[in-house]
Amino acid sequence: MTVVANGVRKEYGPVVAVEDLTFTARPGEILGVLGPNGAGKTTAIRVLTTILAPTRGTFSVAGVPHARPAEIRRRIGVLPESAGYPGRQTGDEYLRYHARLYGRNRTEAAEATRALLGEVGLHERRRSLISTYSRGMRQRLGIARALINDPQVVFLDEPTLGLDPAGQREVLGLVGRIANERGATVLLSTHLLAEVEEACSRVLILNRGRVAAEGTVAEIARRAAAPRSARLRVPPEWMEEALRALAGAPEVATAARADGQPGSIAVRLLEGHESLNGGIGALATAGVPLLAFELEGARLNDAFLAMTGTR
Amino acid sequence: MASVARARPRPAWPIVAGQELRDLWLGGRGLPLSLAFSALLSILSYLVATNRSLNFLEQHESVNLTLQVAIAVGAMLTLLAAADALSGERERGTLETLLLTPVSRLELTIGKLLGALTLWVAALLITMPYIWFLGRGIGIVGDALAVGALVGSLLAVFLASLGLLVSVFAGSNRVSLSLSLLVLLALFAPTQFPAGAQQGWAGELLQRLNPLTAGEHYVGKIVVDRHPWSDDVSWLASPLVAAVVFGLAALVAGARFIRLDGGPPG
Amino acid sequence: MRRVLVLAAVAAIAFPAPVAAAVSVAVDRTTITRAIGHTFSFRSTITNHGSAPAASLVAHLNVVSLHGGTYVDPEDWSSHRTRYLAPIPGGGSTTIEWRMQAVNSGDFGVYVAVLPQSGAPQPPVTSPTVRVEVAKRRTLDSGGILPLALGMPLALGLLMLGLRLSRRQADGPGA
Repeated sequence: MTVVANGVRKEYGPVVAVEDLTFTARPGEILGVLGPNGAGKTTAIRVLTTILAPTRGTFSVAGVPHARPAEIRRRIGVLPESAGYPGRQTGDEYLRYHARLYGRNRTEAAEATRALLGEVGLHERRRSLISTYSRGMRQRLGIARALINDPQVVFLDEPTLGLDPAGQREVLGLVGRIANERGATVLLSTHLLAEVEEACSRVLILNRGRVAAEGTVAEIARRAAAPRSARLRVPPEWMEEALRALAGAPEVATAARADGQPGSIAVRLLEGHESLNGGIGALATAGVPLLAFELEGARLNDAFLAMTGTR
Repeated sequence: MASVARARPRPAWPIVAGQELRDLWLGGRGLPLSLAFSALLSILSYLVATNRSLNFLEQHESVNLTLQVAIAVGAMLTLLAAADALSGERERGTLETLLLTPVSRLELTIGKLLGALTLWVAALLITMPYIWFLGRGIGIVGDALAVGALVGSLLAVFLASLGLLVSVFAGSNRVSLSLSLLVLLALFAPTQFPAGAQQGWAGELLQRLNPLTAGEHYVGKIVVDRHPWSDDVSWLASPLVAAVVFGLAALVAGARFIRLDGGPPG
Repeated sequence: MRRVLVLAAVAAIAFPAPVAAAVSVAVDRTTITRAIGHTFSFRSTITNHGSAPAASLVAHLNVVSLHGGTYVDPEDWSSHRTRYLAPIPGGGSTTIEWRMQAVNSGDFGVYVAVLPQSGAPQPPVTSPTVRVEVAKRRTLDSGGILPLALGMPLALGLLMLGLRLSRRQADGPGA
């Protein structure tokens, strides 16, 4: 295990920001860290990256116990949530400086910088001042900085914050390559559930400083027993007839008009039911034309909302 | 396969100091501040040199005045640079990435302090031709520059350390700069007291305890009164003690108390 | 006999001999020539010609301009003008070196006065005058300041501009 946390607690006076944080992460894994605002994600990352000292508990990162923070820092790379960049430095200068702070000599620092800037797509702009970089470019520069020391564990706190969809995709692509090509463990803190579903092999959900759930996306969705649902479309003039027919179906919990196209109906299935055969049969018996039908599986989104009590 | 970063083979404070120098002098505030400083000295020295009734003694006073202004302004620039050193990084959001490196907080502090002190070195170098011009012919240039370098360096170390100390704990750059300037004004205030208040044992004690006034007094004794260096060396006690005490305090505070959000220790 | 000696001692204490009668002040040179700003020194020797020790004497240095129109502040010439002497034994002497700096140009008279710190008012004993001739020398050429006063800020400004331009040229698109 490259990250092991055991009962980590962080207090700020009377406020408990993180309580009993216990989890593990494996090499090459991308662990998504989810949670609403104030859940303790950033505090947890700051404790694990030795910026903050834990109030209680133990952890180890890259095999190094938390009592040796400088050694941990040698082995990790971090993109903080609110990272700032010195506007008067160029991207090249910035990376070379940090490379030297990690012990590389000038030649090694220049080589590593050149390679990383190419990897994150900033080679063309390496001699431009950082103040001229867009938000997406700065995030990519930050990721490059997080990789400058060939880390075993990479912590990325909201790396796609403020980026457009194309930028988000680009960053997530980088994240995937970090884990796959470098074999590093990535802890990715993000609000974007869809990206977590896509990019992360495992998910850690935090709520009010506690771990609400840990596991693969599918495990968490199943554990939350998020009810299945379906979406149908009938001709608008058949709406009332369709609702009457569905209300009598054995597997239907609720059926109601849905937002969107006219004639749309949202159906929630009773627990334990995974199909709407009875409902469709009821519509056919009532002579209601069925224009479209989609059965929706349990979603991480639903699990997240259920576990964090924000539904 | 990810590899472990090598153990750092050499100290990091020269790397930090080197970057501070680049940030300050290549596209930073160093050159504009030096330009303003030299403009000030140019105006002062021009007014002095074009004084037709300047007699010999006034020439000593002129050299002394120019030197005092150079020391005061040069040390003040150092204070301002140091006051921004950590609180500025905090405000710009760049402190966290520095704290995430394996560089110890002590080495970070040393590098920042040295970077700030380069402003004093630049001020001293800029002052040299002015003192040479104003003091030539009366056999005072060497002594003036030497005593200016000595006193100015002690005061620069003291004020830079003070600025850095404030910067370690200040939650914002505004607080850091305001507090540092306030302390500087308080140190300069006794120079504005009426002459009577500066006399007597109490007045002299206050002057001796204040590193700025003590240093200024010593420079005057060498440059204007032409005392031997050893005659008034006791006046260097407070600048020296201030430089050592605040220098150590800044290093200890930096090593132990640099935090992401600033604020008092504990 | 003893009574006479006691009476003589009492008389000496109650009615000390005038300083002028017992002490003389000599100097080692009477003419000094310097340019303005230069330092010089001379020695004065205070001799006690009496048999009794001369105690509590003060030697004081003074400077006067021998021509009107020149304001002289002796403190500018020397900051150690007053010396409190150790007792000089009868027949003995003490020598003081006076270091001075010629801060005005012109002709000046420098002398040393010796007087007792206590006792009845007595005329001081003075040394012969040391005549100091100080040549005028204008050491500050106002015209020469302009190249420095203008050149230094200009040089720094050009340096600043040059650095900015070179960084701008090195920047890529979007700079």
